[in-house]
Amino acid sequence: MPDLRTIDLEPAAGDPGGEWRGPILEVRDLTVHFPSDDGLVKAVDGITFDVLPNETLGIVGESGSGKSVTSMAILGLLPKTALITGSVKFRGRELLGLRENELQPLRGQSIAMVFQDALAALNPVFTVGAQIAEAIKVHHEVNSKDLRERGVELLNIVGIPNPSERFDNYPHEFSGGMRQRAMIAMSIANEPDVLIADEPTTALDVTIQAQVLEVLERIQDRTSSSILLITHDLGVVAGTADRVMVMYAGREAEVGTVEDIFYNPRHPYTRGLLASLPRVDGRRGDRLHRIVGQPPSLIVLPTGCAFHPRCNDARVPGPCNDQRPELHLVEDAHSSACHYAEDLPALSTTDLAADAEETASDD
Amino acid sequence: MLTFVIRRVLYSLLVLLVASFLLFWFTRQTFDPTSRLRASRDKTVVQRERERLGLNDNIVVQYGNWLKDAVKGDLGTSSRTNEEVTSMMRRAMGNTLQLIIWGALISAALAIGIGVFSAIRQYSIPDYLFTGLSYIGISMPPFWFGLLAIEVFGVQLGWFKFVGLHSGDGSSYDVDYLKHLVLPVATLCVQIVASWSRFERASMLDVMSADYVRTARAKGVPRRTVIFKHALRNALIPLVTVMALDTAALFGGLIITERIFSISGMGRMFFDALLTGDVYVVEAWMIVVALFIIMFNLFADVIYGILDPRIRLS
Amino acid sequence: MRTEDEVSGLPAAPLGVPSIPDGLPPAPELGGAPEPEPRSQWQLFRRRFFRHRAAVIGGGVLLFLYLVCFGAKFIAPYDKNHLNLLLGPTSPSKEHWMGTDELGRDQLTEILYAGQISLKIGMAVALMSTAIGATLGAVAGYFGRWVDQVLMRMTDLFLVVPGIAILAIALKRFGQTDTIIILVLAALGWTYVARVVRGQVLSIKEKEFVEAARAAGASSTRIITRHILPNCIGPIVVNTTLGIAAAIVTESTLSFLGFGLQKPATSWGNMLADSEGYYSHNTHLLYFPGLMILITVLCVNFLGDGLRDAFDPQSHH
Repeated sequence: MPDLRTIDLEPAAGDPGGEWRGPILEVRDLTVHFPSDDGLVKAVDGITFDVLPNETLGIVGESGSGKSVTSMAILGLLPKTALITGSVKFRGRELLGLRENELQPLRGQSIAMVFQDALAALNPVFTVGAQIAEAIKVHHEVNSKDLRERGVELLNIVGIPNPSERFDNYPHEFSGGMRQRAMIAMSIANEPDVLIADEPTTALDVTIQAQVLEVLERIQDRTSSSILLITHDLGVVAGTADRVMVMYAGREAEVGTVEDIFYNPRHPYTRGLLASLPRVDGRRGDRLHRIVGQPPSLIVLPTGCAFHPRCNDARVPGPCNDQRPELHLVEDAHSSACHYAEDLPALSTTDLAADAEETASDD
Repeated sequence: MLTFVIRRVLYSLLVLLVASFLLFWFTRQTFDPTSRLRASRDKTVVQRERERLGLNDNIVVQYGNWLKDAVKGDLGTSSRTNEEVTSMMRRAMGNTLQLIIWGALISAALAIGIGVFSAIRQYSIPDYLFTGLSYIGISMPPFWFGLLAIEVFGVQLGWFKFVGLHSGDGSSYDVDYLKHLVLPVATLCVQIVASWSRFERASMLDVMSADYVRTARAKGVPRRTVIFKHALRNALIPLVTVMALDTAALFGGLIITERIFSISGMGRMFFDALLTGDVYVVEAWMIVVALFIIMFNLFADVIYGILDPRIRLS
Repeated sequence: MRTEDEVSGLPAAPLGVPSIPDGLPPAPELGGAPEPEPRSQWQLFRRRFFRHRAAVIGGGVLLFLYLVCFGAKFIAPYDKNHLNLLLGPTSPSKEHWMGTDELGRDQLTEILYAGQISLKIGMAVALMSTAIGATLGAVAGYFGRWVDQVLMRMTDLFLVVPGIAILAIALKRFGQTDTIIILVLAALGWTYVARVVRGQVLSIKEKEFVEAARAAGASSTRIITRHILPNCIGPIVVNTTLGIAAAIVTESTLSFLGFGLQKPATSWGNMLADSEGYYSHNTHLLYFPGLMILITVLCVNFLGDGLRDAFDPQSHH
């Protein structure tokens, strides 16, 4: 893999520059509410987290948990009707409330985004190469020859064969996995500090998924950027993330390292998610565990803990349906938003299987 | 791309043949080329004329003969004026093309301009204004608009002329010409500008909420570029199809416009021919207009292929 | 989260709700969370429709027009064709709210009676062409292959010649009474509906609940009538409504040109043709019939757009 760079990129405009030693991204009490005919949709309801330099933070949750909205809020891509409060700081600089022309220099340069469905996310009437070149052109003065070279180089970095031919192809001429790689190439064109990948593998086959995730890892090695990996798939997170944040109904459920989350989950929702993963070593005839019930309406959230109606361990009446649990430290760098986080027994895999049997017999 | 165009051309020719045959048959059934002679005292005149014109042959044979002549450039003789249809048509086409070309260009420009503007400034006062005007434009019968326009702007205010394309014998293309052009072109276009601009607005709104527009914004592309480069290109594509489909309506509209404004074009020709049962003119008109419509549609297909690489490369 | 009654001008997308009842509530999606309590389809439809003030007003005015015109016998101040040659054309006054024409006939009366014809033709044509078009379109879409090809080629034929031209010839051939006008206009107008319904059917045909029905042994007819057509109701109703507008404009245009309704029958288009020489000094003869057409068609368009949005609010973000 060639390590040369054909162009020297200026530091991003609007970037405080210099040395910044803190977390690259600091999100504090972010809420995003959408007014609707039926009431206020609380898509994100007060989340707080950091993204450290050169780490991969996985944000896990089902549809409607608010993970995508969070990422859009960071980049200021939400519709004007959205009511956003809280704070999002990039390298110490507040992003919320910035005007469009102040946000533009940051987008695609300091913070970049990769979207889910590359076929829909790429403009069908322009070549892939032109779109990659545009990503560079809007931030830097570069002549077309250099743009093309850099674009071809980027395609090469993400592992697309025949990059100089592919540069002139249109999005519909790529296969799904290639397209996703091309989108990744476009997003790293300016070597951003933060790469937000919103469900980058969801639309792909499992084998291609692995390849795309590998590309993301490789890029991170090269550029030392941070990656915010948003997904509903725990398997994706297990292999790629350093830390994981589990979201439910617009709120945080649990935050910790990958090991913490997988081996010592301290929130019933996380445990439910883990238990519902099909197991290679499961017995024949085992039923798939599922968390009973449905995700709640984001307009009328349950009182107290948002998860309590579906929680096996909920103590009702009690704090679970009465007070909203705050995210608090359970152990070193591992927090949970459950009133009884400490009391949940340490789990082993057999316990999770027992949980599954128990729930199955409840049906 | 080339095979695509060739296939379309061949198919269009087939449609032209079938449609013109059916119309030919229909027209011959409706009108009698010898009707003028029926009042004559000599009863054999009609029979002889029928023989001469080949009207006793099988309809397919008649069509074949007519088509053969048509391809050679002989479209028959008008039973009304006894002039060669081909030369009549050439003259009429000259006038009509002026209306159509001006009309199409102005309509397209206005429709795209209004549509895009309304989409960008959705829910603003100008947007509501334009929406209201489009509703009225679509709902108003074009002939009434023409009559109103003549009455208000031609007669009462005297701003524009409303008879023919030139005053007196003039044929120059000057201000006087423009004064003659405004009202007929407006009448011809009012409905299509109204409907195309609404369509373009909708198309633009659809496109602006598309994923690839979000990607462009996420890349840091300035808003103006996002709209005019990323969104507009895609929003124009469906409009091209609509415009092509509406060319038939445009030719229909000519009939009304030329009648109201006393312009001697294709529309007027058809109108007169229909009133007097001038069979050859009607038949010739049908096939020539159909040919034009097909050409416009092919042209639109080509443009569509240019705009949308997904079509071009499949 | 649409809150405005904006129009798309595009054929409506499918309803997206299968007719086989689905017991589970839908999962919440971003920004479109389910209502706190569930509502029936009909309630949703009603709510969405009545939010469009223009559509409601349009529908109301339309109803009023139909009632007033068809009730002309009871409402009109004068008898139909009541001449007053000595009076001649006069401007609107207390005795004649819309003035009189060159034969001294009260214009309000004329307009009401003419309205009967215009409105009748409009509705009849719309209903007929939609019935034909929907049936043919559904059959073509469902059975596909050569049936579909034949239909598509047929509709292609209609595209190459201006409709007005064909209509004019047809009316010359078959006669220019209101019944024939209805038949001829319907014979030309079904192509648009057929294409729309065909598209609809094609997309619904692929949905799982149709496969399920077929697997359960339902016959084609049953599938079409019980599963597919109900989901096409939206576009069908919308097109019928908008078809009224097209029919009225077409009929009045043809009548104005002289190719449509023949005397003594009157429609609004005819009235405009009759008074053509008199406009300059009697502008009321120009304004009123045209205004009636404009108002009617405007109301139909408002109503149709409101219905379209009520059936399928997803046609815009």
